[in-house]
Order: sequence, then structure tokens, then C-alpha cells
Amino acid sequence: MRRTAAALLGALLATLVIAGAVLGLAGPSPTQAATQAATQAATQAASGQDEDRRVVRVGTEGTYPPFTYREGSGEDDLTGYDIDVIEAVADEAGWDLEFVESQFDAIFAALDSGRIDVIANQISFNPERDARYALSEPYTYSQGVIVTRSDDDSITSLDDLEGVTTAQSSTSNWAEIAREAGADVQTVEGFAPAAELLAQGRVDAIVNDNIAVLDYLNTSGSDEIKIAGEAGDEGSEQVLAFRKEDQALAEEANAALDALREDGTLAEISESYFRADVSVPDGGDADLSGGREGRTTWEAVQDTAWPMFVAMVKITIPLTVVSFAIGLVLAVAVALARISRSRVLAGLARAFVSIIRGTPLLVQLFIVFFGLGQIGIRLDPFVAATIALSLNVAGYASEVVRSAILSVPKGQFEAATTIGLDYRQTLRRIVFPQAARTAVPPLSNTLLSLTKDTSLASTVLLTELFRVAQVSAGANGQYLALYSVAAVYYWVLCTILSVAQTRLEKRLDRYVA
Amino acid sequence: MTALEKEPTTPAQGEPLVVLSDVQKWYGDLHVLKDINLTVHRGEVVVVIGPSGSGKSTLCRTINRLETIGEGSIQLDGKPLPEEGKALANLRAEVGMVFQSFNLFAHKTILENVTLGPIKVRGVKKADADAKAQELLDRVGVGHQAAKYPAQLSGGQQQRVAIARALAMEPKVMLFDEPTSALDPEMISEVLDVMVTLAKGGMTMVVVTHEMGFARTAADRVVFMADGQIVEENTPEEFFTNPQSPRAQDFLGKILKH
Repeated sequence: MRRTAAALLGALLATLVIAGAVLGLAGPSPTQAATQAATQAATQAASGQDEDRRVVRVGTEGTYPPFTYREGSGEDDLTGYDIDVIEAVADEAGWDLEFVESQFDAIFAALDSGRIDVIANQISFNPERDARYALSEPYTYSQGVIVTRSDDDSITSLDDLEGVTTAQSSTSNWAEIAREAGADVQTVEGFAPAAELLAQGRVDAIVNDNIAVLDYLNTSGSDEIKIAGEAGDEGSEQVLAFRKEDQALAEEANAALDALREDGTLAEISESYFRADVSVPDGGDADLSGGREGRTTWEAVQDTAWPMFVAMVKITIPLTVVSFAIGLVLAVAVALARISRSRVLAGLARAFVSIIRGTPLLVQLFIVFFGLGQIGIRLDPFVAATIALSLNVAGYASEVVRSAILSVPKGQFEAATTIGLDYRQTLRRIVFPQAARTAVPPLSNTLLSLTKDTSLASTVLLTELFRVAQVSAGANGQYLALYSVAAVYYWVLCTILSVAQTRLEKRLDRYVA
Repeated sequence: MTALEKEPTTPAQGEPLVVLSDVQKWYGDLHVLKDINLTVHRGEVVVVIGPSGSGKSTLCRTINRLETIGEGSIQLDGKPLPEEGKALANLRAEVGMVFQSFNLFAHKTILENVTLGPIKVRGVKKADADAKAQELLDRVGVGHQAAKYPAQLSGGQQQRVAIARALAMEPKVMLFDEPTSALDPEMISEVLDVMVTLAKGGMTMVVVTHEMGFARTAADRVVFMADGQIVEENTPEEFFTNPQSPRAQDFLGKILKH
């Protein structure tokens, strides 16, 4: 335990140095560094790195086995049926791929805002999507099924869904079908969490495609849920989705899919995952016996603990440090504006504080990342998260800084000015050092909150500590174990910060008799 | 200039250093300084006395613009007080100030309190500033406390450090705003002793105080204020033995009774 703590401290220090370097760099460099760390770009090791090969960014969940998921714990082992298909298409069409993992609910927003060029994530064809996006021809044909608890025989068809609760990804085709059948749809991320909710009795049914369900039953060994019936008689067809203006890309993909179908590659990929060819209509029942093996809790923890640590050191801690540093500088500026004699400055500062404190951090984060993306300001996830978190820190810390400044006796200002110090010197030499003593405990609170709030960045395509746990748990269903490990990491981090706080307070207290 | 030379030359010697002309000040509707005309000459020690709320502290604080004025003018060494900015900071460095509540910088050592101004404002080298500060601290009798923080010193010691801090800037004039009012009785004399020495040494001083003993010993002139006005000014001897105005007679009657 002591060694672990020492290692953590070392990592923390190293990160501070890195963060300092990032802060010190001007211009586009921080963005670049963050991009590399953040998006887990797994550029395909393409044969011949031609200059003019087109780079296509692929959005995918990474938590939806057997279509798109992570096997093992390294950074480059995104795999699955959809991943293999898009890689084969890229080979055929001469693209270089860059994968961007995203939660399903954010995946179309990411396509719309130009963060990705194509979605390879079992996107079902429907007329609305066809109208809005450039869709490829189908590469999977599957049948929708209804899943219930094993002991529940009350639901066997879509008609029985009227008034019951189902768990779906909110923007998925299946959610649409469940909603039309009159179900109350609870939003989840991916199939594994939905299955968990169903097993726990929190929802009554799931509508999804047969392949995903069979795969889950096979890998989890769960006998708590079962396929209870078909979701209508329509099968669904899965396609690649491009932006409308990238019609040309969609056509290249179609040509590639044709060729792959022709030479049997598509069937081969399908067989390797499903022991059936799902790339053609009525490809037969999927036989999933002997598929991927489920993981024990201990294996899952062992596999994920290190990647989580790496994500903490590479993303969570730098994000915390950079956001706190920028936030604090802004906070001082806002605090000084609020106590300045200028009514305009004070008013602006008050409005800023009111807006930041009066709106949810998650909403601020989405506005900066997805919102600004729509008007052409496309920020790298790390940068977007840094901006949102910094502003949030500034909003809260400015009030702390303001009250700390006001807590310094007026006589200290007067004495400073009477020996000829100007405003800046007075603040820097006399006021801030004394205000720091008052401000450290509440600012430490802000820092601890920030450390934990960085987990929200998982929603804007940033693979930080919590996102790693989410991805891994989504693949192997070890929610309790992996989220507990994530909790322990945050707790250790916060404990270290609390110890630092105590030391700092002691140091600042030295002049108080 | 020695104390002997100074003695007979009342009420003033040297050229005018601080000149207040027709100064008016209001706090809202309250007229706190009325028609103030006062000239302090180089080397002169002026003691301002008067009942509470008479405006004597406010008057003192207008001289380095800790308080602004409504009308009139204040000149220091022939130049009007700057309104703000660097010029005002420079002016303040020329005017030493000692507060009732000491106002030592709580997070700095005694030595640092004294050296901060010379180093940051005057650009003196640290070694030189340290040596000068140590000498000043020795002179006011707290040299051995240099490494301590203000909170570790008694009130009397702190006030002497405050005087040393002001002197380190080599001011043209020293303002004392009730420097002994916050002190325990046994500490008052150690501060007054320092001030008397300073006065005898030729420092130009404006002292707001209730210490009549100090006024008699060290003042060249006593200014008596009431209700925001200068009611009477005279030599200490004349003022204390033969006050002219009823307000001054009343005031002296009350404070000298015991």
C-alpha cells in the first residue's frame, strides 16, 4: 500500500510537470498534445503511408460487443464485427482510419459537427436517417427481438409492450420501435447496461437485435433474461452513416462493400464472429456457442486497473491541474472586477458568476463541445473540457477569492499604500498572501469537486479515468467491481490533495500567533 | 538642527511644507471638514487635539489622500496632491504614516515590514535595506525582534516597528493618527519617547493625539479642532494655560480635571 501511494505521488508530480509544460506552450501545441492523448486515435497501420490517402474518422461506441468493443486492455485493440468491416472497406477504398470512441447518444451529434466522418456502429436503416445522412448499403441484416426476465411470460410481442418500461439507447432504432409500441423508454448506454437493468427488475423488457442479445447471453452466461419473441416481422438492416455532403465517401464505401461481398471477405468476417453470415438477408440463425469467453471479476479488475491508472495520469490529473490553474487566474480577475469601483465591470462579473453557478456543469460542457461545434468552433475534447471546467471553477472560486480579499483588514491596504506601494504591488505583496490563508480551505473544496467533476468529460469523447471503467464494464458487465476501482482511484487522489491542503494550511498559519 | 536651536523659534521655522487651503469635506450631508486652512513648516511639530468626532483624524488622513477632499487644495512641498496612480503612490512614499492600530503586515517579519517599501518602491538593494532597517529597529528599541512576526510582539513594540517602517522611506513629513490610543498605559511612554526623540531631531510631524504631555514637551504648535473646524491654534504653553475659545476651555477643563 505504501509503495502504491508512493507511486501515485510520483505520478502526481510527473503530471504536474507535464501540465506545467502544456500550460507554458502557446498556440496549437496543447491542443495537439491533448488530441493525441484524448481520442485514442488508432490509425490503421496501412500499407504504404501515401500522402494523399484520405483519413476517415470513424465514430464507434467501443462498448457494444460483438460489433464494437475492446478486447484486452491496450490502446489499439478496438475490435468487433463493425470494426473489421470498416477496416476491410478502408483497405478496399484506400482510406486511412482514425477511430473516435463515443457514447451512442452523442454519436450523431459528433457526425453532424464534423468530429467524425462515418459511424460504424450497427446503425439501422430508417427513412429519417436516409433523409438526413448519406447511408451505405447494408452490411448486416438482423431481426429485432424482445428480451424479458426469464420468469416473465407476460410479454411475447410488440403488442405487449404497451405501457411497460424498456431500456434502450435513446437515439437507437430499437428505441423508436419500442416507443411506437407504447413502451416507456429508459435511456441507457449500450446493451450490457440494459440487460443489467432488466435482470435487476428495474425495466421490464428490451428491444434489440437478435445478434447482440445472443452474444450477450453467450458471453455473460446469464440465465436471468431470455428472448421472449420477435419485435415485429420486419428485419432491420445496418448501414454506415456519412454526412449528406460526403455522398462520394458513401459511394466509395458501397463499391468496397460490393467487392468484399463478391470475394467472400464480408461472409468470412461475419462467420468469425457469428458462425453465420449476417451480411446477407436471412443468413440463418446465429450460432454463438463457444464464442468469446466471459471474464471473471478478478480478471476484469486486473485488466482494467492499469489502463484506468494511465488514463488518470494522462487525462484526469492534467485536466484537473490545468483547469484549476486557469480557473483560479480567472477567479481572481472576476473577484477583482466584482469589488472594483466600475459598475460595468462589477455587473459583468456578477452576471458571469450567476450564470456559471446557476447552470449545470454538464450543460456547460455540452454547450462548449457540441453547441459551439455547430457554429463551426470545433474544439478538441480536452480543450473543450478544460474550458468548461475552468469557467466552472472560476465561477465558484471567484466568490471565495472575493470574500478572502475582503477579509484582509482595511488597515493592511492603507499601510501598504502609505509606504508607496501601488495597487498591483499592494495586491501581490500584501493582500493575496494574507487572503490565501482564508481562501485555502474553501478553494481545496473546489479542487476536490473539480477532480471528481472531470469524470463528466467522459461524455464529450474524452477517455479519462471513468470512461475507461465505463468502456470496460460495458464490454464485460463487471459494473460493481470496475466502478468501485474507479471510485478508489478518485478517493486516493482526493486524499492526497487533502493531505497537501493540511500542509499548506499549516505553512500559511505560521505568522498567526 | 539641534533641539536647542529649535526651542525659541515658534510658531514656525523653515519654508511651508504642507499647506491646506480652504479644505471642505462631506460624508453625505455631514460636513466633516469646514474651511480648513493650515500650514505646516519644515521641521515643525504640530499637535492636533480635540474631542471625538471633531474631524482631526480625517484631517490627518487627507494629507496623504487616504481621504479625498470635497473642495479646496492641499499642497506638499509646493505641489498639489496627485489624484491617483503612480504619482499618488510616489507622494505617499514621501509621507510617513503611523496608525492607531499599527497595521503591520501580518504575514511578514518585523525586518521585512521595514524593508518592503525601500526595496519595492525605492529600489534599494536588499542588503542595504536590511542594514538600514536593522539600524532603525535598534534605534526604536526592537532590533532583537527583527526575525519575529508582528503577532509575537506587544502593542508598544509593534507601534515602534510601525514608526521604523515609516522612517525607512525617509519621508518629508510624518503623520501620526492617534498612535497611542490602542495601547495599554504602560506601553504608551515607550512609543512617546521615540516620538519625542524624533521631534527633537527635527522631523516635520503632524500628530493627532490625546497625550497632552507629549503636546507640551514636543509640539511647536497646538491646533484645536471641534465640529470639523480649527477653532484655535497656539503655542502649547499659551494654549494650555490660556485657552481663548469657550470650546477649548471646556475641552481642557474636562481632560485636565483628573
